[in-house]
Amino acid sequence: MKKTKSASDTLLSVIKYILLTFIMIIVLFPLIWLAISAFKMEKEIISFPPSVLGTKYTLKSFERIFSSIPMAKYIKNTVIFALGSTFLSVMFDSMTGYAFARLNFKGKHILFILVLLTMMVPFQVMMIPLFLESNALGLLDTYIGLILPKATSAFGIFMMRSYFASLPKELEEAGRIDGLSEFGIYWKIMFPLVIPGVLTLTIFHLMNNWNDLLYPLMMTSSTQMRTLSAGLALFVGDHATTYYGPQLAGALLSVLPLLIIYIFFQKYFITSVTTSGMKE
Amino acid sequence: MNKLKKWKNFINKPGNAAYLFLLPSAVILIVFAVVPLIASLIISLFHMNIFFTGTGFVGLANFKAAFTDSRFWNALWNTVIFVLFEVPLQIVIGLLVANALASTSLFNKAARSVFFLPVVCSMAAVGITWSILLDSNIGFIPYVLELIGIKNAAFFRGASTAMPTVIAMTVWKNFGYTMSILIVGIQGISKSYYEASEIDGAGKVKQFFSITLPLLKDTLGFCLITNTIGSLQVFDQVYVTTQGGPQYRTETLVQYIYKTGFNQPYNLGYASTISVLLLILILFISLPMYKKMFMEKE
Repeated sequence: MKKTKSASDTLLSVIKYILLTFIMIIVLFPLIWLAISAFKMEKEIISFPPSVLGTKYTLKSFERIFSSIPMAKYIKNTVIFALGSTFLSVMFDSMTGYAFARLNFKGKHILFILVLLTMMVPFQVMMIPLFLESNALGLLDTYIGLILPKATSAFGIFMMRSYFASLPKELEEAGRIDGLSEFGIYWKIMFPLVIPGVLTLTIFHLMNNWNDLLYPLMMTSSTQMRTLSAGLALFVGDHATTYYGPQLAGALLSVLPLLIIYIFFQKYFITSVTTSGMKE
Repeated sequence: MNKLKKWKNFINKPGNAAYLFLLPSAVILIVFAVVPLIASLIISLFHMNIFFTGTGFVGLANFKAAFTDSRFWNALWNTVIFVLFEVPLQIVIGLLVANALASTSLFNKAARSVFFLPVVCSMAAVGITWSILLDSNIGFIPYVLELIGIKNAAFFRGASTAMPTVIAMTVWKNFGYTMSILIVGIQGISKSYYEASEIDGAGKVKQFFSITLPLLKDTLGFCLITNTIGSLQVFDQVYVTTQGGPQYRTETLVQYIYKTGFNQPYNLGYASTISVLLLILILFISLPMYKKMFMEKE
């Protein structure tokens, strides 16, 4: 087949590259500006006319954010919350997904419908009773209280179920003949075969938990228990008393860990989005 | 010893083991999702504040109050406006970019990675960055606009510009998400369609409208509904940038729920009522999608 590009198609591809480059600038500019401005001196951030590059770079804004809010605490809390709930959720989601995909038991259908129902209900609707319940159980302002409600997700169960369902049927039989227990079959044979799914789900949970704002905002009331998103949002809410530089330094520090993980595990970030399509 | 053996035998029947596999998730989902959901429906019928003073059953009084509450209607209106502009913009931009980047080349791969960057960033960090970048006193963007003759661009602080700015920021952050889903959809379309139409002499534009668009219908519908559900829950971007202001012009439903329940007047009953109304709205929109999704999976 001969490919003859018409004049209009050539023009189109020129326009395409110009537009794409333009969008790339729009996407990158705020991020680059953030990365540079976090290192500027406060007086250069508020100087007129503003300049993108500035002249002198300093860590002053970083020092300020650590001294004006318990930033180190926020980082620690976010790491504990995000890693803890992600780890537990991936484990429990995959166990439950496995049961729904590979085991036959009474009430399977109705239980699965129940799982799907909880997937349809947005978090905001359960927010107030969840707060009251956590308060009654003494879970507010504790790590357990932050982690436990996020230690499983209907979406994760749904996703792991489809990963386990795609494995060939003979696998369990072989395991049973070898005398493995049911949990042994799951853990030693089946789980290693769905590692791509596990990684995808891990990234999905990690990204959502790390960035979550409303949930930690509601479940923590002491400044010492806030996560990065919640702590920074409240810090910014106090416009009159704060410098601009520390806000930017805090924002940069809060996105950096995920961006670094994104560089290495880009594939799983994209699949976590494309297999999900569900926003939490 | 005998007991242990019996237990082992019992639990190694797949039908019994299944319940142990389910147990952790089931307990968590029941305690932290099913119970709160039911409680939400009940609390919406109660007068209840955070200090539990004067708690009592009031029937549908909260719902009646909502229908005459101008702040509720304002929040609903703002939410609808947000959805009506944010969702189509995100899908159209996502679609055009996905169509341009679907084939695998080095440039395309790099562009995709760049467009996905804001998706990874938290709305808190994005909100802080945009607020300062667009600040009317010290912001870089208002300064540039002034150079080209656009004066006093207020962005987040203007009554008429705040909502469009929140929408623009959300599209900026999220279009890479829709793009990624649509790229997978476009890559799933058989190459033979395009080859056949090329022989017929169809140009790229015609191919887009006669092949890509119709065959992407399901994926687009999926994006439309999930984006709409997500957008109806808009909160983070408003909370970080405008807090619902100026003059309640960006106050959305979830923002109103949060403020009513967790700030003055700490009215949990009424906040629950609004959240139940939000649930009804969301279910109404999402049911067709779930129906389709489950029928395909089962």
